[in-house]
Amino acid sequence: MNRSKRKGIFRTIAACTLSAMMLISAGCGKPQNAGGNGQQGGPPAKVAVITKQQLSYWDDVKKGAEDAGNELGVQIMYTVATSDNDYVSQVAAIKEAIAADAKAIVIAPNSDTELNSVLDEAVAKGIKVININSKVKDYGKIESFIRCSDSDSGAVAARNVAKILEEKGADYEKLGKIAIIGHTASTAEERIQGFIGVLTSYASHNIQKPSVTETDPEKLVEANAAAESEYNSKLEKFSKNFVQGDRVADREKAAKEAEKLLKNDGNGISIMFGTNTNTTLGICDAVSSLKLDDKIIVVGFNSDEEELSYIRKGTLNGTVVQNPYIMGYVGVRYANKVIKGMTVPTELDVGATFVNGSNMNDDYIQLLLYPDKY
Amino acid sequence: MAKEKSRFKGSGAYVFAGILLAIVYLLNTFLVEGIYWGNQNVSQTTSKTMNSLNSINGQLSEINNDAISIAAGIKTNMDAIVKDTNNRYANIVDAEHTFESISDISDTAKRRYTYAKNIINTYKKRLDDMGTGAVTSGNYEEMGYILKQDIYPMQVVASEMLTSTIDVVSRDTGTIMRKNTIRSYALMTLMMVVAILGEIAIWLFAKKAKKARLELEERERSLAEVDAKLKTTRQKASDLAVINVLTGMKNRYALDNDISDRLESGRFQVAVFDMDNFRSINDTYGYDFGDEYLAAVAEKLKEEFSEVAEIYNITGNEFCFVFNKNISESQAMGIAQNIQRVMSSPYEVLNLAVQLPCSGAVYHYLPGDCLNVNSLLVKLDTAMRNAKMNGGNMISTVMNI
Repeated sequence: MNRSKRKGIFRTIAACTLSAMMLISAGCGKPQNAGGNGQQGGPPAKVAVITKQQLSYWDDVKKGAEDAGNELGVQIMYTVATSDNDYVSQVAAIKEAIAADAKAIVIAPNSDTELNSVLDEAVAKGIKVININSKVKDYGKIESFIRCSDSDSGAVAARNVAKILEEKGADYEKLGKIAIIGHTASTAEERIQGFIGVLTSYASHNIQKPSVTETDPEKLVEANAAAESEYNSKLEKFSKNFVQGDRVADREKAAKEAEKLLKNDGNGISIMFGTNTNTTLGICDAVSSLKLDDKIIVVGFNSDEEELSYIRKGTLNGTVVQNPYIMGYVGVRYANKVIKGMTVPTELDVGATFVNGSNMNDDYIQLLLYPDKY
Repeated sequence: MAKEKSRFKGSGAYVFAGILLAIVYLLNTFLVEGIYWGNQNVSQTTSKTMNSLNSINGQLSEINNDAISIAAGIKTNMDAIVKDTNNRYANIVDAEHTFESISDISDTAKRRYTYAKNIINTYKKRLDDMGTGAVTSGNYEEMGYILKQDIYPMQVVASEMLTSTIDVVSRDTGTIMRKNTIRSYALMTLMMVVAILGEIAIWLFAKKAKKARLELEERERSLAEVDAKLKTTRQKASDLAVINVLTGMKNRYALDNDISDRLESGRFQVAVFDMDNFRSINDTYGYDFGDEYLAAVAEKLKEEFSEVAEIYNITGNEFCFVFNKNISESQAMGIAQNIQRVMSSPYEVLNLAVQLPCSGAVYHYLPGDCLNVNSLLVKLDTAMRNAKMNGGNMISTVMNI
């Protein structure tokens, strides 16, 4: 009797201790549960990233998009078209994205008009469209346009040509021809426009107005007018220095076009400008084969490994590097934000940078050239 | 002894269980505390990280605003702007140091931060170049180009990278917090399992203890049985010494034991009876028959008189009656006559009816009459022999001298 009573007490105590322990452990655990940001649950959102063609530039866009995808837990469906006028593959890719129930499309369009109807289909399905690199024309249903401004990129090329001329102490009046070889896309026109505009502007500052020494007030007006017209004719003469080759798509054609302009002796050309990787490499091929490397200032676009080796060789004075990695990265980030109902800037200019032999090894430039190394 | 030991053993196990529970409880507390402080640390680190990143971002956009103000001609006091810019950049550098001093930042976050920092460094360089170049020479066109084409995009990208770093850090924090939550749930589950196992162990232990106790009780019971058996055997053995085997009545030793104490001061009635000429039965029918006959008589006597007297079978066919204390002298005489009647009535033994007369003597004993039982019996026997010599079948009285 006594013993069983005693056992009962022990049992009660044991049970109480256990339940108290469980309560405490549960109680301590609970308050910490708040804190995680709720991003779990459900499959990851799909974002289609569609780019223009198989080039290192678009590889960088892909890298940026994939990095953002990994960081945000977004699934990237990457498609690259075959060439920069192959909108057919892009239409197919958009249709595929619709079929795969993608939540957003990040696209660098190969046509500024042909994609509109299929994009309409996507938008009707609730898919958000982020436009990168070059604009889909007259299309108002885009959440955000992320690019490196092409006219500004052209301007950056022109500013750096001006800097080289300044270092050389060149006289703008005695400058030879400025040859431009553009590629077959709308971006080329904006780049050329920016290049010509800014270089002309620099010329207008550098070409001196003839100084008027006349003291006679009656003759002064006349003298001023004469000086003005002389200045204007000099500017006009300068603007006639710009010559443009045919628009070309590939490197061989660009090289042929450059050789046609250069002839054998350079044909009085002092500056050459290529508007993309292929045209830049074509120009370099021609200049290099004619051994005109020292005579002609060559500036181009993008940062293909071969372009970089031309910079190291001295054929290419410098190249304008846009930031494709950031375009892809921010493109996917913005897509994710829009999917979650947040607002994003309608336009974002991620800038262009001039890379030459002296800044090539700077951290910042290395970052632009090899985004995945950082 | 055995009981004491088992109780001690039982409580020892309970103490052990108690200590074990305390250890488990302490362990649990430490683990829970660990998770709690882990989370606390993560929160602190995160807020420090966020603060430094936000500070960098904020200062950067202030610097950018100033740069735009210069280009737009809103601000003209260059000395003040340069001073402000340098102060802000110093703040950025401080915040960078703070960020870089924080450990436990994931590689992804570091990668984003490094990207931003690189851009900011270049941004500052471009800004300084603009300050010494275009701004000093008052070339607003150049200033516009730099702002639009270099500085502004850099600030935008740096800012994107900083917010991206913040996102990565908060995602990392979320992951750690979630991990800790899972860990605390796992701990809770583990503790629950331990508790349940403990409960089961206690139950099993109690069950086992109960079984052991039952076994012990069983053994005690059988021990007691053996003990009792032993006691009855001993009783029987001692009984044999004072009981006549044939009639089951107490014998002369028993009488000796029972009344020798009373001789000195006792006052009681005592009587003896035996069959007249009992030898003739033995001679005629044999000893076995005689024994049966005696047994029958004794049975009858017990039946009739055990309530009023203690009956002893002191020799062969001689019975001694010690009357109860409340029996008076005259009552004793009456009972003696009844005894004579019962004894001398016919008995059927082995299908033969046998009847023998009997004689007896009654003694009204007074204190100090006899020194011992022997002399008491001699007195009674003498009186009874007198009766038999006078023809038998009668009761005589012991005369008090």
